[in-house]
Amino acid sequence: MLTTRGLGKSFGGKTVLRDVNVDIAPGTITCVIGPSGTGKTTLLRALSLLDLPDSGVISLDGQDYSFPLQQGAAITPAPWPKLTAVFQSLFLWPHLTLRENILLPARNIDAAKAEKDIEGLIAFFEMQGFIDSYPNQASIGQRQRVAMARALILNPRYLLLDEITSALDVEQTVKILTKLGHLKERNIGVFLITHQIGFARKSADQIVFMDGGTVAERGGPDILDAPKTARLQQFLSAVHEVY
Amino acid sequence: MSVLDILMNYYPAFLSGLWVTMQLSLIIWGSGIVVGGGLGILGARYRIYIGLPSRTVSFLLSGVPILVFLFWLHYPAQAMFDVVIDPFYTGAFTLSVINIFSVADIVRGALVDFPQQYLTAAKVTGLTREQTIFKIQIPLILREILPPLLLLQVMMLHTTLFTSLISVEEIFRAAQRINAQIYRPVEIYTALGVFFLAVCLPVNGFALWLKGRYTRDLSER
Repeated sequence: MLTTRGLGKSFGGKTVLRDVNVDIAPGTITCVIGPSGTGKTTLLRALSLLDLPDSGVISLDGQDYSFPLQQGAAITPAPWPKLTAVFQSLFLWPHLTLRENILLPARNIDAAKAEKDIEGLIAFFEMQGFIDSYPNQASIGQRQRVAMARALILNPRYLLLDEITSALDVEQTVKILTKLGHLKERNIGVFLITHQIGFARKSADQIVFMDGGTVAERGGPDILDAPKTARLQQFLSAVHEVY
Repeated sequence: MSVLDILMNYYPAFLSGLWVTMQLSLIIWGSGIVVGGGLGILGARYRIYIGLPSRTVSFLLSGVPILVFLFWLHYPAQAMFDVVIDPFYTGAFTLSVINIFSVADIVRGALVDFPQQYLTAAKVTGLTREQTIFKIQIPLILREILPPLLLLQVMMLHTTLFTSLISVEEIFRAAQRINAQIYRPVEIYTALGVFFLAVCLPVNGFALWLKGRYTRDLSER
């Protein structure tokens, strides 16, 4: 289980996360929704132990990381790639081909298996036509598929995703979201920031609605149909107006 | 007397001058790349204590013409300290200082401006520290610094000509001496141009090859 208790984070005196408690179980999908600037990405970066919180505890399968860390202390044991993330900006290494981007970290785990697994991922994400190109030669949608493949080949226990379908067409979005559904069978816990309310309603086990740096409401997909807070109701009305 | 005749008749003088030029260049290149590279790395790591002073010196040097710096170290500085130093060493020292701080600027800039997102990706995908350095950081940094670094070294080779003005017997001074004997400036300086082409073109060619081989357009479509 990946959990946070009392997570807090400020930037230059501005509080962006306040007493955030989240539980992500393996084999479940948690969808985080909410307006822009409410701390969703900050929470994801804190959860992935990249931008460390100012206060609180993150627990990864019983291993506690308490904050603030003592000065000069490092994150030990390193939680990656058991816990991995794919960001909205995809961070593919520009000097490596897309294939090498996927294989470089995967070879650390099992080189022979990586060579085999990548073929399955290439087929699944339909990357045959561009897998040996460099990132700058691929479209944003193609790069998003590669970034997903790079994370999935690592067989993480928890996968944190920040609006990874934002640049995809409808077909590719459906494909990736379907793939996320399959991850439940592999007992991977998925934490997904998304604006795809339809996907959240259909596939999420847990919905977390963030507002003003806090978890304003949480629950099963039913909260999308019957929100308890006025703020979520207001947010969903705005979403329905657009879509 | 044609250019070829001059080259045939005076090649020992040209070669001797070229040898001094190459010795100067090797000292300047070696010290610039080793010491300047080290200074750049330390400057990026200790930005206040090393980076800032190094940038300040570099900034000040950029405002002083090379010839003025060279003359100042050759005449007033030596008179001030009451020492006489072989012009070759003065020239090598002056140009090395300039190269060291210029290389340090390039290296420090590339390190400080290294896009952190590539390190984030390395971290979350579980790359080791060594893999991150050798597979991600060094290749990307080399790609960025290689072209300006090589261009700088070719430019430093050209600046060795200034040392002739403090009596270093390098190739330009050799050409001047020959010209003083036979007064054929067109042919002699054309011959000098041929020598420089012979030395600089392979270096430039190597720089172009490295650029073509290791640097690509990384801008995203």
